[in-house]
Amino acid sequence: MEVILIFISASIVNNFVLSYFLGICPFVGVSNKTESALNMGLATTFVMTLTAAITWPVWTYVLVNFNIPFLQYVAFIIVIAALVQFVEMFIRKSSPHLYRALGIYLPLITTNCAVLGLALFMVLREYNYIESIFFGFGTGVGFTLAILMMSGIREELEFADVPEVFKGISITLIVAGMMALAFMGFAGLIRG
Amino acid sequence: MNKIVKMVLVLSITGAVSGGILAQVFHFADPLIQENRKKELREAIFVVLSEAKDYTTLEKGNDKEKIVVYKGIDADGKLVGIAFIADGGGFQGNIRIMVGLSTDYLKLKGIKVLEQNETPGLGNRIKEPAFEDQFRGLEIKPKVEYIKYRKPEKPNQIQAITGATISSEAVVKNINNAVERVLKNFPQEEILK
Amino acid sequence: MANNNYNLWHEFKKGLWQELPPFRLILGMCPTLAVTNSVINGVAMGLATSFVLLSANISVSLIRKIVPSQVRIATYVVVIALYVTVADLFLAAMFPPISKALGPYVPLIVVNCIILGRAEGFAQKNPLTPSIMDALGIGLGFTLSLALMGGIREIFGFGSILDIKLLGEWFEPWIVMILPAGAFFVFGFLVALTNYLSKRKAAAPSGH
Repeated sequence: MEVILIFISASIVNNFVLSYFLGICPFVGVSNKTESALNMGLATTFVMTLTAAITWPVWTYVLVNFNIPFLQYVAFIIVIAALVQFVEMFIRKSSPHLYRALGIYLPLITTNCAVLGLALFMVLREYNYIESIFFGFGTGVGFTLAILMMSGIREELEFADVPEVFKGISITLIVAGMMALAFMGFAGLIRG
Repeated sequence: MNKIVKMVLVLSITGAVSGGILAQVFHFADPLIQENRKKELREAIFVVLSEAKDYTTLEKGNDKEKIVVYKGIDADGKLVGIAFIADGGGFQGNIRIMVGLSTDYLKLKGIKVLEQNETPGLGNRIKEPAFEDQFRGLEIKPKVEYIKYRKPEKPNQIQAITGATISSEAVVKNINNAVERVLKNFPQEEILK
Repeated sequence: MANNNYNLWHEFKKGLWQELPPFRLILGMCPTLAVTNSVINGVAMGLATSFVLLSANISVSLIRKIVPSQVRIATYVVVIALYVTVADLFLAAMFPPISKALGPYVPLIVVNCIILGRAEGFAQKNPLTPSIMDALGIGLGFTLSLALMGGIREIFGFGSILDIKLLGEWFEPWIVMILPAGAFFVFGFLVALTNYLSKRKAAAPSGH
């Protein structure tokens, strides 16, 4: 039960993009086409779930165990960078088709702050292993949801008569603000 | 070959130097950080037990489920009440409250919201004195209750913040849970002893 | 010599408008949105980022010739994470309230694209002095941008600046400004404003 709550909380109620502002760069950068947004979302979800699965033991069994918590940020970013590299190599070997679809997005995931953010939140909130994995997965689903919705809106926006100076990033951010307001309606969905 | 050696060498040196610098900085900063935490805790205890000048810490339970209470002591060394932390879910995130309980185990002496992520302008008004002060002298038996839109009628009631019923309810519920846990684990005789 | 000085000044100045990080380059958006509900938070975040940026630029510029290109990103990331941890520990030890307000957004400086972007795009190719000037310029531009965002949101959201009440009792705070949505709105409008200003500047006959 607890894990389902964590999943819903991470994906909808406390959506990383819309309420913590994590992962804004790809959210704005890769949301102009629905197809690329979906691919980016799926790749990110995959990396996020793995990140949670790996950083949790690194934190619990290495950093806490050897009393070196100050290496947390260095260790986490190395794990994430290595993970992304590994996933990229694996996909390139196993499925060239998928690689063509995802290839250019994979390196971007390393600097997606939502990935590092999820590892940090996981430690702060003292989740156990199973909860962490659900948290990672839920965060990824939330990110996919947000970027997918945004890409749908942006495809329609192309036909709208937006004032010249607001075109591009500016109107995207204002639309994101409206989405954030709409998502506030989900708050209170989970009563502790 | 030469290249690979160089790559490994550069990376290991960077790693080692970074680790070394961080260990030094941590060595210097950690005592200060612990000191800050202690000070923050101390101040919170003295807010909810206003006569207290010092406190001692009591712990029970194992690593998994630890219950901590702080005994507040005034200038003459007399026990003025106990304080403990109520931790639990709110409307959006976690709410952490320091709670003060009188020595007769019947009334709250005060509360202070330490951490909260409630909606600005509505739910986060739980940290305003107008709300916190309602808990001063509030009876805890049978349990703390909230009431909407009206002034409290019973000595164990507070008035919920209009537009933030869920946040107010969460505060009340967290306090009730924490009080119940403390009452069960730290009987009055044991504290007075 | 004069020419050299001019160049250094240029490296500094470009961060203030031409390459103003959040609004022109659209980099480093997460902290720009997340911690700017008040001026003081914005400035603290800006200074912490500037410190990391400056230290990283110095280090990268110094070691740029000995790091093999295959591992350069990995090396830079470790160096950046090092300085971020130092900044985080420093804030927690010396300014606990600020550290608490910024929370997990301090460690997230590690993945702030501005820093890796400057290390990779500038410090790696340039000697020490221009790298320092570049970091100072970009850092100042970033700090000022965050302060501006924080100022706008604080005055509309709380009716105050730096916790000093500016607007009287008649003012009903616009709560939306402090909410996440307000951050998106203000940022969106500021990007539009910089677009407008740069267009006007480009359209005007350039004097120099």
